[in-house]
Amino acid sequence: MSTAELEVRGLTKHFRAGNALFARSRVHAVDDVSFTLRPGTITALVGESGSGKSTIARLLVRLYDPTSGRIVFAGGDAAAARRRRDVLRYRSQVQMIFQDPFGSLNPAKTVRHHVARPLRIHGVVPRDRVEARVHELLETVGLVPPEKIAAKYPHELSGGQRQRVAIARALAVEPSVLVADEPISMLDVSIRLGILNLMLELKQERRLAFLYVTHDLASARYVADEVLVMYAGQIVEQGPTERVLGEPLHPYTRLLLESVPDPSRAERPEIEVRKGLASAAVDPPEGCRFVARCPLAIGVCSRVTPLLQEARAGRRARCHVTAPSSATREDRHVELAS
Amino acid sequence: MIATALVPEERVQREPEPLLEARGLTVEYATREQPVRAVDGVDLAIRPGEVLGLAGESGCGKSTVANALMQVLRPPARVSGGSILFRGEDLTGRSREELRRFRWRNVSMVFQSAMNALNPVMRVGDQFVDMMRAHERVSKQHALRRAAELLDVVGIDKRRVRAYPHELSGGMRQRVIIAMALALNPELVIMDEPTTALDVVVQREILQQVRELQRDLGFAVLFITHDLCLLVEFAHRIAIMYAGEIVEEAPAAEIHRDPRHPYTIGLMQSFPPLHGPIVRMTGIPGAPPDLAAPPRGCRFHPRCPRCTPDDAPLYARQTTERPVLREVSPGHRVACHLVEAGRR
Amino acid sequence: MAQVDPTGAVSLGLPKPRTRGRFAIPGWLRLVLGNAKSRFGLALVLFMVVIAVIAPWISVAHPNDFDLLAARQGPSWHHLFGTSDQGSDIFSQVVLGARRSLLLGAAAAALATVLAAVLGITAAYAGGLVDEVVNFLTSVFLVIPVIPLLVVVSGYLKTRGMTTMILVLGLTLWAFEARILRGQALALRNRDFVQAAKVAGESTWRIVFGELMPNMVSRIAAAFVFVFYVALLVDAGLEFLGLGDTSHTSWGQTLYWAQTNSAVLQGEWWPFLFPGLALVITVVGLVFLLAGIDEVSNPRLRTQRVRTRWLVPRREAR
Repeated sequence: MSTAELEVRGLTKHFRAGNALFARSRVHAVDDVSFTLRPGTITALVGESGSGKSTIARLLVRLYDPTSGRIVFAGGDAAAARRRRDVLRYRSQVQMIFQDPFGSLNPAKTVRHHVARPLRIHGVVPRDRVEARVHELLETVGLVPPEKIAAKYPHELSGGQRQRVAIARALAVEPSVLVADEPISMLDVSIRLGILNLMLELKQERRLAFLYVTHDLASARYVADEVLVMYAGQIVEQGPTERVLGEPLHPYTRLLLESVPDPSRAERPEIEVRKGLASAAVDPPEGCRFVARCPLAIGVCSRVTPLLQEARAGRRARCHVTAPSSATREDRHVELAS
Repeated sequence: MIATALVPEERVQREPEPLLEARGLTVEYATREQPVRAVDGVDLAIRPGEVLGLAGESGCGKSTVANALMQVLRPPARVSGGSILFRGEDLTGRSREELRRFRWRNVSMVFQSAMNALNPVMRVGDQFVDMMRAHERVSKQHALRRAAELLDVVGIDKRRVRAYPHELSGGMRQRVIIAMALALNPELVIMDEPTTALDVVVQREILQQVRELQRDLGFAVLFITHDLCLLVEFAHRIAIMYAGEIVEEAPAAEIHRDPRHPYTIGLMQSFPPLHGPIVRMTGIPGAPPDLAAPPRGCRFHPRCPRCTPDDAPLYARQTTERPVLREVSPGHRVACHLVEAGRR
Repeated sequence: MAQVDPTGAVSLGLPKPRTRGRFAIPGWLRLVLGNAKSRFGLALVLFMVVIAVIAPWISVAHPNDFDLLAARQGPSWHHLFGTSDQGSDIFSQVVLGARRSLLLGAAAAALATVLAAVLGITAAYAGGLVDEVVNFLTSVFLVIPVIPLLVVVSGYLKTRGMTTMILVLGLTLWAFEARILRGQALALRNRDFVQAAKVAGESTWRIVFGELMPNMVSRIAAAFVFVFYVALLVDAGLEFLGLGDTSHTSWGQTLYWAQTNSAVLQGEWWPFLFPGLALVITVVGLVFLLAGIDEVSNPRLRTQRVRTRWLVPRREAR
């Protein structure tokens, strides 16, 4: 079991806008994203739909190729690997759990097939040990008795059970990194905690590095050590979970926190309704992408794209107002003076 | 500034006569084998101007209740028992024409994923016109003007009347649907998971808007969702459904402060908190029952942490007798043998 | 117990195995037996297949035997379906002709379906250049009118043996279904389980054969049945025009002889009716089988017949 870190540097993904073969416009799904996943930690990637978080998940497992940027893992750039052998080696270390428990399993195949295939493809255990290993994996994820479950088809299982099968499948290759793309959002409320607790267990016992992609701040708080907030393809805030959620720097993080249903807060300020979308922009202009909805926006915000700056120890934010760079600080003094 | 999410109890109680009421409502789906009871003997009352929340997980029957109330159940589902009363008058057995007029004018509905229900090849304004002219004799210009007004009311630029659905975002389309539901000034709007597919920020904006409209226009809302936390903030009263039955019903603050039914307690403990200490939580073990063969007695008993054979007579009741909704404090009803026996 | 699939996605694979009593009914059996239409269609087709199989035992004469004394006779106990102008027994011709017609139709359908499935599904999954090439081929074959092409090709062929006909039919009829199967595969390939297989490290061909095809069995079966009856009709048509193999007997051939010998002008209906009826029964059977398969695989096509009780006792309010 490797204890390697996975570092993402400057990851960018642009899609062609529209269907025309020679369309020039680009959708900036992910723009210059950098972060590190460390063993034994869960990193939450929080954002709304269209913010680019699912694209990052797919980039990490190489379902997409990045437009630019690097994925540094085990001493090499995984994004640049072209030979099947290299790609296969990467896949044996970085696996994914998908959002839809009903769609991520092949309806025509048994549970056994799903969990055994990765074992066979990567030769994790000798052939005569495959069956036993399948049962071990099913037990690890809490599906007992494993012999009976292994023979079932997906439609005979509940949503929570299917998601556990998906986790068992991901664990089969003994990865170091697990990317979980909204693993609980399609499950019943009372079952979600079971899956979250399983993730915590796996992180603890196997020293896995998790990337937990979600739009749900509460579950992110429950499991994650570090949180990355995404908006319109960029990371806008980053830091330890408790600090970020307790004292959010970026206005979007604050907006998210205020919007989450929270019955324990009796009084709640009314949110200012400002038009704007959190999703990837087509050919976005210079300047902060949140400027149209931001209550703190100042002049420089629509002219200069803010950089991700260290604002407090271990925390970064992309905002001219709350995390200004020295350059913008000078600009602001000039503005305030004039 | 919104003060609290809850309306003072007194105002609601002054108008005790319910607007829409279901008594002993039972809905069955015909299958090859036995008919399946998706809704089994549900009593529900919505008073004018109040927001009643109906919470539950998948398979509990909440959407079926909504469809039954609107009389839009499709075969193989049908109302097999009980009655639905609107202002005291029985709706079951009404002619199709009478029901058609009742729908939308008195009660309208916002369906799940309704934003995908807009006709993609018609402009938004034209769809309003279509709908209004189906119920009233109005000219096209008048209808279009009203459409623009309604869009403004839900927070969309009036000029979007000429837009096609695909030109609007998901949140805007949902607002269009809500505007359409309000077009004929109904007294009750049923909303079935209206914001589930939307972002948390958009959800809050839309619900704030609905809240304002509700205060201004005075309509009642039946709000169906699995998000109990949202209901605590948004609804006046909440009813919890499990396996086709209502297991608890109380004012929203009380459900939050003092939930009595073990399922409600388990459900409330399935939402990790945003503030306060982070403790390990468990949710509810097991899965909802197969309604073709529900457990005998209390339907929740196989998953109930408080159901053990230790107390033999109580256990016997839990496994053979279906609990009945009983009032445990003013406005708070629970269907649970444990609560009845004073054990909670 | 399983939760209801919220996506309502249509599965194009086999129906799930179900247990009735002590027997587990496998998916493929449910596919063809699951529906009154498919049962009826299957019965008709099986009937013709059985006839074809026992043909050597029930035919009374070699189909090409001629007996001029018995020529142009209507149906009688001796010649159940009457005789042709040469005195050949029509009954024998029909039952023995069934063998060739059915075999040819099935083989052509099999070839076309295999081509359609492999090309269509691989093109959908692989995308890029492979997809472009296959699309181009499909378009070309779709644009060419099949029957005139077959007429021209048959006209040039030296031998019109069965293998040739099978090849010719198979190679011209694959394009239609290829496009359909490609479309279905495109919808499937973005499903998460295909992506998950890719992330697990599966190779392309394993995904095409192991993940995609098993979920398209219903559609592929439907493609087979469809091409089968098209091939039957086209083949009969070609033979009727005189482009078939005159040394062997088949339904189309019998019709051809009847036509060239002006049977109708003589008021002889039997050389037309019986082979035509055989064709019709088979094709109708296949059409019903196809309709039944479609209904079983696509639940949305089903019309539910709910037995309603006319008198529903009213429940008392609780």
